[in-house]
Amino acid sequence: MIVIRVFVLFLMLSSHVVADVCATDDNGVELCLPGPAQRIVTLSPGATELAFAAGAGEQVIAVVDYSDYPPEAEMLPNVGSHTRIDLEALVALKPDLVVTWVSGNPVEQVTMLNQLGMATFAIEPRTFEGVSSVLERLASLAGTESEGYAEAARFRQGIAALAKQYRGREPVRVFYQVWDQPLMTINDEHLIGKVISLCGGQNIFGEMARLVPRIGPEDVLAGDPEAILSGGTDEDGNSYTSLERWREFGAMAAVAADNLFIIPASPISRPTPRLLDGARTVCEKLDMARARL
Amino acid sequence: MMRALTILTVIAALACALSLAVGSVTIPPGDLWQVVLGQGDTLDRTLLIDLRLPRTLSAFAAGGLLAIAGALMQVLLRNPLADPYVLGLSGGAATGALLAMLAGAGMVLVSGAAFAGALFATLLVFGLAHGTGSWTPSRLLLTGVVTAAGWGAAITLMLAITPAHQLPGMLYWLMGDVSYARLPWPSIVVLMLAVIALLPLARSLNVLARGPLQAAALGVSVRPLEWSIYLLASLLTATAVTSVGSIGFVGLIVPHMLRLVLGNDQRVILPASALAGGTLLVLADTLARTVIAPEQLPVGVITALLGVPTFLYLLHRSR
Repeated sequence: MIVIRVFVLFLMLSSHVVADVCATDDNGVELCLPGPAQRIVTLSPGATELAFAAGAGEQVIAVVDYSDYPPEAEMLPNVGSHTRIDLEALVALKPDLVVTWVSGNPVEQVTMLNQLGMATFAIEPRTFEGVSSVLERLASLAGTESEGYAEAARFRQGIAALAKQYRGREPVRVFYQVWDQPLMTINDEHLIGKVISLCGGQNIFGEMARLVPRIGPEDVLAGDPEAILSGGTDEDGNSYTSLERWREFGAMAAVAADNLFIIPASPISRPTPRLLDGARTVCEKLDMARARL
Repeated sequence: MMRALTILTVIAALACALSLAVGSVTIPPGDLWQVVLGQGDTLDRTLLIDLRLPRTLSAFAAGGLLAIAGALMQVLLRNPLADPYVLGLSGGAATGALLAMLAGAGMVLVSGAAFAGALFATLLVFGLAHGTGSWTPSRLLLTGVVTAAGWGAAITLMLAITPAHQLPGMLYWLMGDVSYARLPWPSIVVLMLAVIALLPLARSLNVLARGPLQAAALGVSVRPLEWSIYLLASLLTATAVTSVGSIGFVGLIVPHMLRLVLGNDQRVILPASALAGGTLLVLADTLARTVIAPEQLPVGVITALLGVPTFLYLLHRSR
């Protein structure tokens, strides 16, 4: 333990002396590295995407399960799943930056990494601006500012353009199905909820207290959505979810107008620059729904 | 009988050595030896001393505690199906731990809440079974089993209303998880104290196992002995559950296996349970973290996979 403490102390001292890259993570903790990170490990599929999008793809040396985008990430060594990290494998890779996921990684494992003297940077974008901001901060830590800031700007402009395009459209009542067994949806605080609002949709469960509420089919019927969306196709376009159960309720506006849409899952579910693609899809589907009502 | 304990000690030491030597990262034997000598490079030291050692010791202590608690419960309730959890103690611990997790507490608070929950469950059963009427093992068992069902419902309720991102952590806790055990010393100290405290009682326990009337006739003060066994077993289980979550099976199977091989003498069974329980959990955890590395399995899966065939073999052979 003493060795580790001395090592941590040394890291802290050295970073204060020659500190040239610093950034504050989504827990509000400032991380300073002695130089741009060269050996990055990402502990969530979203973090992998963000690191690559920030221009740091070449410095990423290991990822966790389901890091399937971009395709290069699939070739990288794996250090377990985001819910259970293989700490041994991770430590043995001697990373100089570990990008963690605030609510997805086990707190005790991240604490242990910190105690072992690893430089960890916790992220969890909850807003559109949060996605751009994480891109910029990761780019700063990796020394890839030009690419990262450009990608952040592209995302900002893309979202702003959608906001402008769909502002003032006729509101559409939307039910977004996260999962069917148990039935789960999202509220307006969730990024998917924000996408729905952006596209002129009105989330029928937007006011619920939980980020990802569990609901009953009766609640959906009572909300009488005009469109039902679900992220449920993988990268190859295979669908793994179904909205067919709703068809038996012909009186529901969404069913009457045939407004049941299954859209690609990861672009809409992951807080990464691909969310722009996901948002475009949602906006298009809601526009189709509007036309059919 | 000393021979059996010596053999078990050697096996336990080998299991611990194996657990330290093996991991998802391969360290050459020469480098391992360097670390043992207090040298070796920083990475090897970190892997061995900061990651594998606390984990091995925690697993050993928890396995030993659970096996002793199981052996005690089987004597107390004179029921072969008794295990440390049969009286709802793990349910109380889990309810405490899950409540703490739901509130977003850190691991220290979760452990504390688990310990508090386990003690509360113990006292609840103690108070209810004590009651006003006469006390019998079957009354204690029934009270325990019913409160356990109540805890089970509370756990299911919490799992149902928990935000999805917190579920994996909770499920791993419920399945038993050694991966974050950092401070093995409390469990080890409790384990050693328990063995030391129990050895003088072993004779009385042998008599008690034959029934309370015989025990009383032979001069054992049955009631105080029974309650102290119950409280001690609960304390041991609570300590184990606090450091590694609720790992099933060890407490049920290890004492039975030992009885099949060594006979039912508590003077041997209790220390042997500590050694064999610890060994089983150390081996199970070693497999859990290496068998499909980098994926990490819950240790409870492996304890059952290792224990079931071994137990069935011993049972078959003993006929």
